[in-house]
Amino acid sequence: MEDGKRTWHIATILGIASVPLIIMYLFLVIDTVTDTTAGSPIPDRFTFEHWRFLWQRIDGRQSIWLVTMNTFIFAASTTVLVLAISSTAAYALSRLNMPFRRFFLAGILVLHGFPTITLIIAIFLILNMIGLYNTLIGVILVKAALELPLGIWIMKGFYDSVPWEIEMAGIQDGASRFMVWRVLVLPQVAPGILALGVFSFLAGWSEYILPQVLAPNANVQVLSVYLAGLIADDLNPDFNLFKSVGLFYMVPVVIFYLFFQKHLMNIYGGGTKG
Amino acid sequence: MTIMKLESIRTTALAAAAAGAMLVATAASAQDYNITVWAGGSNDADIYRVEAIEMAADILEREMAILGEEVNIEVDGRIDFGSWDEFKQAVTLGVESGTGPNIVVTSHGDIAPWSSAGIIRPVEDYVDLDAWPLNDIYDNLIEISSFDGIVYGIPQDAESRPFFAWIPHMRAIGYSDEEIAALPARVQSGDYTLYDVLDDAEAMQEAGLVEPGYGFYPRVSNGPDYWQFYQSFGGEMHDSETGQLVLDTEAMTRFYQFFADAVERGVTRRNHIGTPWDQWYAEVASGQAGLWHGGTWHYARYTGREGLDDFFGNVQFSLIPSGGDGGGSNTITHPLVYLVTSQDDEDTAFIAAELIKIASEPRINTLHAILSAHLGISESQSQVDLYSGDRWAREATDRLLPYASAMPNHVGFGDYWNLMWAGLESVWAGQATPEEAVEGLQVAAQNALGDNIVIR
Amino acid sequence: MTQQTKLGLGFMGPAIVIVVLLFLAPVLLTGFFSFTNMSTATGISGGTYRITESVLNRLPADQVRPDVIVSLSESQFVVDEAGLEAMRAEGLDPAFIEELAERHGAEVFTSGDDLEDAMKDLDNRPRSIRVIKGAVDMFERSLRDRDFAEEAAFTAALDDAVVDLTDNERVVIVQAAYSGWTMTTSNFSRLWSTPQTGQVIINTLFYVGMTLLLFNVGFALVLAITTTFLPAGQSAFFRAIWFLPRISPSVLYVLLWKWLAWDTGFINAVLGQFGMAGRNWMLDTTANAWVFVILINGFVGASMGMIIFTSAIRAIPKPLFYAAQVDGASRWQQVRFIILPQLVWPLLFVSTYQTLSLLTSFEYILLSTEGGPGSTTEVWSLSAYQTALSNYAGNLQYGYGATMALVLVAIGVAASLLFLRLFNFKHLVSRPRIEQ
Repeated sequence: MEDGKRTWHIATILGIASVPLIIMYLFLVIDTVTDTTAGSPIPDRFTFEHWRFLWQRIDGRQSIWLVTMNTFIFAASTTVLVLAISSTAAYALSRLNMPFRRFFLAGILVLHGFPTITLIIAIFLILNMIGLYNTLIGVILVKAALELPLGIWIMKGFYDSVPWEIEMAGIQDGASRFMVWRVLVLPQVAPGILALGVFSFLAGWSEYILPQVLAPNANVQVLSVYLAGLIADDLNPDFNLFKSVGLFYMVPVVIFYLFFQKHLMNIYGGGTKG
Repeated sequence: MTIMKLESIRTTALAAAAAGAMLVATAASAQDYNITVWAGGSNDADIYRVEAIEMAADILEREMAILGEEVNIEVDGRIDFGSWDEFKQAVTLGVESGTGPNIVVTSHGDIAPWSSAGIIRPVEDYVDLDAWPLNDIYDNLIEISSFDGIVYGIPQDAESRPFFAWIPHMRAIGYSDEEIAALPARVQSGDYTLYDVLDDAEAMQEAGLVEPGYGFYPRVSNGPDYWQFYQSFGGEMHDSETGQLVLDTEAMTRFYQFFADAVERGVTRRNHIGTPWDQWYAEVASGQAGLWHGGTWHYARYTGREGLDDFFGNVQFSLIPSGGDGGGSNTITHPLVYLVTSQDDEDTAFIAAELIKIASEPRINTLHAILSAHLGISESQSQVDLYSGDRWAREATDRLLPYASAMPNHVGFGDYWNLMWAGLESVWAGQATPEEAVEGLQVAAQNALGDNIVIR
Repeated sequence: MTQQTKLGLGFMGPAIVIVVLLFLAPVLLTGFFSFTNMSTATGISGGTYRITESVLNRLPADQVRPDVIVSLSESQFVVDEAGLEAMRAEGLDPAFIEELAERHGAEVFTSGDDLEDAMKDLDNRPRSIRVIKGAVDMFERSLRDRDFAEEAAFTAALDDAVVDLTDNERVVIVQAAYSGWTMTTSNFSRLWSTPQTGQVIINTLFYVGMTLLLFNVGFALVLAITTTFLPAGQSAFFRAIWFLPRISPSVLYVLLWKWLAWDTGFINAVLGQFGMAGRNWMLDTTANAWVFVILINGFVGASMGMIIFTSAIRAIPKPLFYAAQVDGASRWQQVRFIILPQLVWPLLFVSTYQTLSLLTSFEYILLSTEGGPGSTTEVWSLSAYQTALSNYAGNLQYGYGATMALVLVAIGVAASLLFLRLFNFKHLVSRPRIEQ
């Protein structure tokens, strides 16, 4: 969209607005590889000591790799589930002649208005009833259920912008609606699936409360809890270690973002690009 | 609990009879027990909350083996919960669904709601409180572990929340070394009051020893500590006769007024609440604050991470001073307790209770007390070298523990506490006068607690 | 059933099952809970009947006669033949039973401890304390501290213990002795009569409105539009920067803000170079706290709008812009006449979604100001969390918390209906064009 006009003033304004973020994250990175003499604001020694959690276990905690693995399994399963369910449901809502379409769509948005934390007790009762309390699969299902409203709405937006002509052509060729969806429509919304995948993965990656409360026995320590535990220790908190683990926690998502940012910026309007 | 116990007595009696005969007979088949222990709010240094149970399991296995019973006890421990909130939810939901832990280490305040909900068993049904080591535990701690006249838990550790003064600053505003040494006694007798604290704090600020707002430097977040100041002005939290909570409006107003005065006189910052703990620890351990209050376990932080090598040369500690007429010096202890949950069968509960009993032996408990800078639970710990050799444990035990009171075990206390804190915060921030805040507290407390609270 | 409906049901099925089971049902249950006094102390799945000291204290003096209370409060252990028989039936050591009968036969103990002590003094006592405690229970002849799972059994035992109980007394006692939750509307009256309620609602509206306007929609729109005009490298840079807060763990992200704004923080360190006195920028005054609450939440919230708006702008056919440039349209005109009209749906979505998200979000406030100073930045969801689900002293008020959540939902529903009306929701759900 560059139009050849000068853009430096736009960049300057954005730059100024971004200053707090730039400073905060710059120092975050610096702090993880340096030490600072108490009382001085400027770091003065270079060290990898704060990254020691990568090659040795921190006392009293599980191995970071195990925890990372748990987090990955949790986030990835949630993502797959959310993608599978919302890509079908959203298609039905967007394109198929369903009763209560509007009701379902509005209802699902309203559900999102319920503070998750206060649902915990009721969710517990239901999981316990169906025998999924204290299992990893139960927590994954719950997390997916809570992410679905966003997923369905986003995917509906994508399907809405797929031209009807594509489907009509498919039908005329004698394909079933299902085949039309799978072969013709789904590829059109690939950017949406990618974008939603990023959001769901992010949500799963940062989940903090659900695994602890709904599967306390399953021993699924996740990164967010591991991280919080590092400064919960009020006898000997290690802030630079905390920041390093925090950065480590962010790295996979940053990489994920850099890879998929093009698709992420396509979260709206899949098939109608000019 | 009684019903369940009756049901399983048969098997026990038979087992016991068998155990008696066992001395000559062959060994029975081994019994396996899986005991899960969850400890809330624990630092890395609190690992003995779990490891003590593991040690106990080893001892119990050997004892049973001598009696001819072969048992294998697997202990599975967890201390890495994100916070108290998640821990408590996980325990209550877990036990309710039958997948919770067998032993929990938690605040004594949980006893009232958890016993009412039926998720814990009275420990007194399983162990002999009249026998060693349980009969050696301080009486006031056993009382704190009880509810409705029933002993539910065994204290796991003790602590107390003392008042601190930075000795060099006290010296600089005219206290002689003898006077500083005599300060704890003066505080205890009620001769040195909270308003003397404000005077001294002001003097330190005027002398430029500490920055404005650093003269009196209280705890930065809600905690049991603040009830101490209510007690300093003669407030009572609980009426043991009627079982009701008590809101003493006069004491509450004077307690709020004290903090309003501290802020008004500039010796405490108006935005003090919410200061990061890290900053707070660093400041009080380096003489940037004049007078403050904290917990006995802070000793580990001051002398450890904060590098205060000469603690006793720089810091004087005492009870929380009296507020003046009608009040008295005091301190609150907020021990954690071992509780046996309703999880699993009676046999397992007996094993769990037995493990708790053994873990309470002086030597084992001392490991936790010293490593985590808590205080002991029983008299004889002062005869354990590890304990008596530790100057802090020794002096803090003598000076504080005998006078320590505790918050009541009452189902509605948490609500009352939240409201008390909200009132104090509004006074502190200058949004309400003490009178207004107490009035609001009164309305809200009656709303929330009804007959459970009596207003005086 | 047409093929289309079948496919539709198949496609909707998983979503309906999982959403109904794990989202709708919990929501409805929570709505139901708001009419109960459920708490940690009542348990979730029901209670038992038991006469404890607390229960006795609770019995209303004007409805239950004092002598009834006294007789309920006594505990009695009688060394009678029935108990001795029970011991024999359990196969306990006959010598132990005989000695007990001989030395304490027909004796009445007022506490289990006393009987336990008496048994421990016997020469033939069992070695195991567990067996002794079991034996003690066999002689319990009172109601005190005994647990009954069923109301019928409890009532029967109650009538045995107190012969002349009136009907009203029985009802009152059974009610007091029940430890489970009961239905009530008191949560609503409590909420209504709590003085802080009004202030918290105002705080919530202010917080949601400001954050939404300034950041989640406002600044997100600015970011999306301005980065459209920047060279690719620069725009990617700014988008990445503004995406960072969303992918940072919340504890770390808030810590960074504290590092920036606290007494000993970065701002003060810089200002200190110019001789300015330091202050706690985050908590100094109410205004400071609000600024930071909005900044912290807004910096996170802006990224979602930014992404959705950016992608919507990208979906606009490029020739439109070229044509506009050829016609000499200024940037502002391009924004006004080409971009904004295309953003109606995304704006609706982001506004609605973020309003609801903000209404229910409290994590960042909890971690930063904790609702302070005083309770000036206390918002509804934080308050619901703090009073109902985070209790230092253990008794979580599930019922009351559900009530507070219900209020939030009411506000959320009203807000989303308003948005849907504003943006003409019907129009957005167009009829399918293939009917078969």
